[in-house]
Amino acid sequence: MNSMPSDSASMSFVDRVVVPGDHVLDLTGMANQTIKLGAGLRQDGDAISVMKAGKLRISKPNKYWVESSHKRYVPCVEDTVLGIVVDSKFDNFLVDIKAPMLGLLPVLAFEGGTRRNIPKFEIGTLLYVRVVKANNTMNPELSCMDETGKAAEFGPLKDGYMFETSTGLARMLLSSPPCPILESLGKSLSYEIAIGLNGRVWVNAASPSTVILVSNAIMNSEFLSAAQQKIMVEKLMKRLQ
Amino acid sequence: MAPMEVDRADGRTSNQLRPLSCTRNVLHRAHGSARWSQGDTIVLAAVFGPKAGTKKEENPEKASIEVIWKPKTGLIGKVEKEYEMILKRTLQSVCLLTIHPNTTTSVIVQVVGDDDRPELSLIQLEVQMIIKNNSSIIRAFLALRITHVMGLRTPQLLPCAINASCAALADAGIPLKYLAVAICCGLTGSRSVILDPTKIEEKVFSYSCMLYLLVDYFNCLDRGYAACAKISEFLRRSMESQAPSDLTKTT
Repeated sequence: MNSMPSDSASMSFVDRVVVPGDHVLDLTGMANQTIKLGAGLRQDGDAISVMKAGKLRISKPNKYWVESSHKRYVPCVEDTVLGIVVDSKFDNFLVDIKAPMLGLLPVLAFEGGTRRNIPKFEIGTLLYVRVVKANNTMNPELSCMDETGKAAEFGPLKDGYMFETSTGLARMLLSSPPCPILESLGKSLSYEIAIGLNGRVWVNAASPSTVILVSNAIMNSEFLSAAQQKIMVEKLMKRLQ
Repeated sequence: MAPMEVDRADGRTSNQLRPLSCTRNVLHRAHGSARWSQGDTIVLAAVFGPKAGTKKEENPEKASIEVIWKPKTGLIGKVEKEYEMILKRTLQSVCLLTIHPNTTTSVIVQVVGDDDRPELSLIQLEVQMIIKNNSSIIRAFLALRITHVMGLRTPQLLPCAINASCAALADAGIPLKYLAVAICCGLTGSRSVILDPTKIEEKVFSYSCMLYLLVDYFNCLDRGYAACAKISEFLRRSMESQAPSDLTKTT
């Protein structure tokens, strides 16, 4: 019952680049099954059609999504992102997370947060936050605590350097096992890094030259394969010596 | 009433298009960008958005699209406003506006190259925007017909701009229903259809010659559909390239 007979049509699109308007799945033969649609897909009558260009991926048995990399971010629940404070209101901070709408960070969403110890963030402060609620019609709600209420590394990021990349590179950097570029840089340099799924990356190290080296290496590694990334890092290290 | 083969100035047959070229992600600051060229007509489109907030007269339940047209030379006048209005309506029918309500997406179109040669012959013009679903079956959802092209100086810019803005919207990740593809068809004085006319082959006509037969119009549409299939295949191939600012060319 779980194997779908109309799979042959969808299998031809899976792991291939799809373009907006492609009908990737025909639902007429699947009356009693549930299909979960991720990013970039929508139900168009009797078929599933593509909204964004990208690679179609499937996770058995019934999850479909389109993997694409853009400069803007679509908020999803439980994503960790880097936001910049734009304004502070009575009960919310307005935080820009590169999404269509500004995020709202409640002033009490901090570990041990009460009305008496509201943090004072200046405009332009970089924060590492977690998306709690994400809806297309409302401003996304953020939090500086994890589910249990602990701080868990969320909060403002001091010093260091922040740069913006595409969401695809951010996902690659956050993949497990660790991305080859981060591993090979970590073998010879010591640095701190925070990666937001919205395409913002923050790097901190003891000396500015290390920060610059790490940032440039990451920015250049987007379209390189694992082997090419290692070679690039080796060349950079040789030039340092 | 077989259509006659026309001798064109640059040696193309009546069904042949000029060389197409599409580059995506050309601009670093724009959220999506594409540069589309057909022969010497080159258009650069940049997309910013979606950004929060809509203008007063726009519907806050839907996303709104704002188009700014920048000509190659000269100040912005009525012609540019007309292009903006046409492009805005076309893009509104292509984008899924209910996904991000109360946001604005800006599309800026810059004309980079324009056929700058003097006009020679007199032909009547018909510009068709054919929105098609990107499957093997071509369905025209909206055939926007613009007669009275006397106001538009170079009608082949508009299809180029539509193709460029659509590629730029897809590059920016704006949710789209399908990709729009456009072609310009010309009707010569001897009632045969030529595709993708250059500026030499077009000129403003006087009112007396605006009459044309319905069968000619459908003939134009058929040739246009076939050409759009080729352009959409090209657009799909250019979407499949992974690297940034990857250049795809075809003739």
